[in-house]
Amino acid sequence: MNSRRCYRIFLCMLVVIGAAAVGHNAAQAGGILFGDDDDNGESRGPYFFGFIRDSDGSSVPDAKVTATVKAGGALVTRSNGMGVYKIPGFGKDINPDDIDISCSKEGYKPDGVLRRPRDPSDTTDPVEIECTLKKE
Amino acid sequence: MMQAMISGATRTLGQVTAIALLFGVFTQPCRAQTLTGSVSSAEEGPMEGVLISAQKQGSPITVTVVSDDKGHFRFPDGRLSAGHYALRIRAVGYDLAGPQAVDLEGNNAEVAVALRKTSDLAAQLTNTEWFMSMPGTAEQKRPLIECMSCHTVQRIVRSIYNAETFVPMLERMAQYANNSIQARVQPRIAEREVNDDSLRKLAAYLATVNLSHGPKWDYALKTLPRPKGRATHVVVTEYDMPRSTIAPHDVRTDRDGNIWYSNFVENFLGELDPKTGAHREYAIPVRKPNSPTGSLDLEADADGNLWLAMMFQASLARFDMATKTFQMYPVGADLDDDAMQQSMVMPRSATFDGKVWTNDVARQSIMRLDLKSGQYQRIDPFTMLPKGRLHAPYGMAADANNNLYFMDFGDENIGRVDARTSAVTIYPTPTAKSRPRRCMLDAQGHLWFTEFAANKLAMFDIKAERFKEWDVPTPYTYPYDVFSDGNGELWSGGMASDRVLRFDPQRGAATEYLLPRPTNIRRVFVDTSTKPVTFWAGNNHGASIVKLEPLD
Repeated sequence: MNSRRCYRIFLCMLVVIGAAAVGHNAAQAGGILFGDDDDNGESRGPYFFGFIRDSDGSSVPDAKVTATVKAGGALVTRSNGMGVYKIPGFGKDINPDDIDISCSKEGYKPDGVLRRPRDPSDTTDPVEIECTLKKE
Repeated sequence: MMQAMISGATRTLGQVTAIALLFGVFTQPCRAQTLTGSVSSAEEGPMEGVLISAQKQGSPITVTVVSDDKGHFRFPDGRLSAGHYALRIRAVGYDLAGPQAVDLEGNNAEVAVALRKTSDLAAQLTNTEWFMSMPGTAEQKRPLIECMSCHTVQRIVRSIYNAETFVPMLERMAQYANNSIQARVQPRIAEREVNDDSLRKLAAYLATVNLSHGPKWDYALKTLPRPKGRATHVVVTEYDMPRSTIAPHDVRTDRDGNIWYSNFVENFLGELDPKTGAHREYAIPVRKPNSPTGSLDLEADADGNLWLAMMFQASLARFDMATKTFQMYPVGADLDDDAMQQSMVMPRSATFDGKVWTNDVARQSIMRLDLKSGQYQRIDPFTMLPKGRLHAPYGMAADANNNLYFMDFGDENIGRVDARTSAVTIYPTPTAKSRPRRCMLDAQGHLWFTEFAANKLAMFDIKAERFKEWDVPTPYTYPYDVFSDGNGELWSGGMASDRVLRFDPQRGAATEYLLPRPTNIRRVFVDTSTKPVTFWAGNNHGASIVKLEPLD
């Protein structure tokens, strides 16, 4: 197992641990649907994740992370205590390459985005984008 | 389109039915009276946290106080006038042994209220207490939170359906409109699809917690503690509505201190004078006679005029407070159908751009009304998200530039729609599957909202784009709405616990005021012109308006 693969597995584990820490409840659109679990795995594209780091390589928690969809719209989340963010995934009809990730935090300015290569033929392969900030 | 609107004082006045019920005669105190007393039981001696309610014969108004740590209670001076009063208590595990009534005449009265152990504890349990008591996983119990829209959990646990006979009953329930109560059931016109596997799974679970196996429940009935300390320093006033089919949903005060409410199941806007008890209704034109009637969201615009979201009637209604007439804004034929369901309206900043926000629950979409043309624009805020996921734009707020903030009640997001560009930004809540429900935006740009399924109160700072969340202290409360009173405290209520939550988010301090009767709370409203503030809500299933006055 090469080091890059090890790193990705480690990062995925961090994301999974973070996700497991929150509850999961059934959703209903304003009516009685008897607790259907709206499993939308088939219509969901790959998830997005990555570290937010400063220029020293340290992780930056609580940074604002914006995913901008080329066709319009955006989703905003924040990095967790370990500086990792995760976006569960957009619609499968949206090309992952048409989504830009940017990050910001008070006291920092943007210092680049690194999009790690992935297998475009594997629609489940997560999209890893690292975002770097520089202290002002 | 404009011609299609029902407008103009002359025409609308003809359609307004004003029913003035002169309750005032019952509420004007002839002279100041005070009712004081003590409450005790053989089991506990003097009892704290017992709710004592007094209702004058023939009056629609019930006043309730709570006994203190010595078992004493006192109705504030001037709240009761001379007459014959029925007494009622609420203390889980107990019934009133006596006296059942008291006469107030020239002098102040003092009564010794005696309680005895109840023989039917189950009848006293709130929805929250049933959720606490029922065995089963959180996932198994969760679908029942939908049932509370129309009836209490009592109805489920006392049923004798088995896993098979529950199925057709649940299928039937699914075809009732959200705006149904036991006193008035309204079928949907457009059929709703139901997942058969989920329905059978639920039916099988419910058959394990009801009375299909025998005359008693085979699990212990758990109860919440009685109020104590600060939670006893309160006066609750209930105003009974003149019909059981009045289902107050959203309640708010106007500039004169009068109460206005939306009726969830009938096409009336209601008005209550809390000083005299006078009650009036204003008939809202029925546009679709075959569709369910009633309205949900009641909001005020910048001029103080009221707006109603007419649910399956597929229209917004604007009520002119000066002329007391309605102007209707029906959804055009190009967007309307039998499933169309407008539950929300947000006119607060309409003066900025002449647009009023609303929604269509059936299509999981935002709608925007152009006041000049009467045309609606449909916006799908979830195009970027995976298809097949359930969403429901619900509670709404608008900033000064009429940018919209909305709750995704079906899922776990707050959304923003830019008023100028219609661009949508989605903000997932920190807690997954939180189902944000109703909200309010304060002057500091704090969007306060409830996470209905996550049992949390939450705040989204629209400038910093940052969330904060607080657990509601009692499990299974399922808060419906929250109001920030501007004094650093939040007020919340819901359909499950019969309690009003007062919460200080800075200190995490909570006070839960128990209400005298089963109370299905939806929108909550706080009148901040009084000191302390006054809390108002409708009892959606109990045909009453509830006023709660904390004494500190």
